Amino acid sequence: MKAPADPICGGGPPPTLSPADAARLDDLYARFEAERDFSIGYPCNQAFDYSSLYRFLGFAINNVGDPFSGSNFRMNTHEFEREVIGEFARLTGIAAADCWGYVTNGGTEGNMYGLYLARELFPDGIAYFSEDTHYSVSKILRLQHTRNIMIRSQPSGEMDYQDLEESLRIHRDVPPIIFANVGTTMKGAIDRIDRIREVLGRLCITQHYIHVDAAFSGMILPFVDDPPPWDFAAGADSLSISGHKFIGSPLPCGVALVRKIYMERVSRSVEYVGALDTTISGSRNAITPLFLWYALRAQGDAGFRRLVDYSLGMAAYAVGRLRAAGVPAWRHEHSLTVVFPLPPRAILKKWTLAPYRDICHLITLPNITKDIIDTFADDMQRSLDNREP
Amino acid sequence: MKQIIIPVPNAPGTLAAVTETLADAGVNIESIEAEAIDDSGVIILRVDAYDTALRALRDGGYRAVTEDALVLRLENRPGALAQIARRLTDAGVGIRSLQILERGDERSLVTLVADDAAAARQVLADEIVALP
Repeated sequence: MKAPADPICGGGPPPTLSPADAARLDDLYARFEAERDFSIGYPCNQAFDYSSLYRFLGFAINNVGDPFSGSNFRMNTHEFEREVIGEFARLTGIAAADCWGYVTNGGTEGNMYGLYLARELFPDGIAYFSEDTHYSVSKILRLQHTRNIMIRSQPSGEMDYQDLEESLRIHRDVPPIIFANVGTTMKGAIDRIDRIREVLGRLCITQHYIHVDAAFSGMILPFVDDPPPWDFAAGADSLSISGHKFIGSPLPCGVALVRKIYMERVSRSVEYVGALDTTISGSRNAITPLFLWYALRAQGDAGFRRLVDYSLGMAAYAVGRLRAAGVPAWRHEHSLTVVFPLPPRAILKKWTLAPYRDICHLITLPNITKDIIDTFADDMQRSLDNREP
Repeated sequence: MKQIIIPVPNAPGTLAAVTETLADAGVNIESIEAEAIDDSGVIILRVDAYDTALRALRDGGYRAVTEDALVLRLENRPGALAQIARRLTDAGVGIRSLQILERGDERSLVTLVADDAAAARQVLADEIVALP
């Protein structure tokens, strides 16, 4: 059936904005364009082109329900969502048949899903997470009434495994739910899954759950040589990866990935949509699965490897360029997060950075060029030269 | 009267800034104490308008810890938190949440939410940051 020429109920001309309101939108657009190249502190890749998918924005589509169970609401993109999950399963070391997941609104929902599943499996479990963990995790644990203990971080941002062991030893009768960061928010540090499993092994703790927050690095590590153990193959039980970070998307999105056997234990039927709904939200975005599917198909492994190589090269360049400018910048191997001391206020005013206490970082996503890094390094050098003795 | 604890940088003018924030919101401070912990510190206060004070502090960019959580002062070394957990476990007190608030070179500040706050307060009396 063809859509009517004028979709407005009752006919008549479609509503339009006043000139003043239209001008406000033009101003907003101009502001975004001006700010794009100065936004270097947050992991949101600005380089993407999904224009061939924009025609789908003309439909009210909705991915309500479990993408693997079907739904009575047929204007969905579940088929594409399942393919996205299958691709991420392959990239994270698990057979597609053993993995369940869905496209989320971002990394936090993926983390919430992992912690929710863990809490359902181990209602009395205690969650352990490092002090470099994203603040949203404390919020999730409070929402879920999950008991939790924070673990010290090493200066590098990686979990202090000795502190973890000491804390686990005291509660070894309670199943631990370990929240591991694969790329911490501020320093890009990686909590080693093999080290965590060694600790669990030494303490003879057999019942445990490991959730991995790979929001940013989850689309980097599959494409580097010799990554540290970080994925399902290393022993993760669930993973969260963002879609709008390295891949890039105009709308926030991500994937929650879990071992299917665990999800099946906690699934429940929501009959009114005819779906076995194991997702957290009811109505779910149906366009972001298309964005992710498009990016994965268009880039392919070779394309992402090229982007990762480019971005790692830019990160190395940024460290070198900043050090040459007198700024003691550093980064972890396989990380695009370049860390440096908190810059002066003028720099924070011009550049969109992410300051935290006495440090700051920039992130060399695929849209970051040498020109942008050079301009930033020059600004930093000038600010140091102008600093009062 | 409920207590509020605010972790702050150990810098000149910080105490004045906090009190001004509260004064601007029309909050009267009943009692106040400040303690330095390496490069950071804590301000502990009681006020006449608890919720208004919390809102003003939040809007002013401060992290205010309410009395629902105990704030502990610990040595900054691996296992220090674990020892706290051990003392509570041995006393039969369950931990809901144990989190690091600030970490200095020598000492750290930790928040604790326990199943039984009164019992936890008793067990950890020597570590608690509080007004007398």
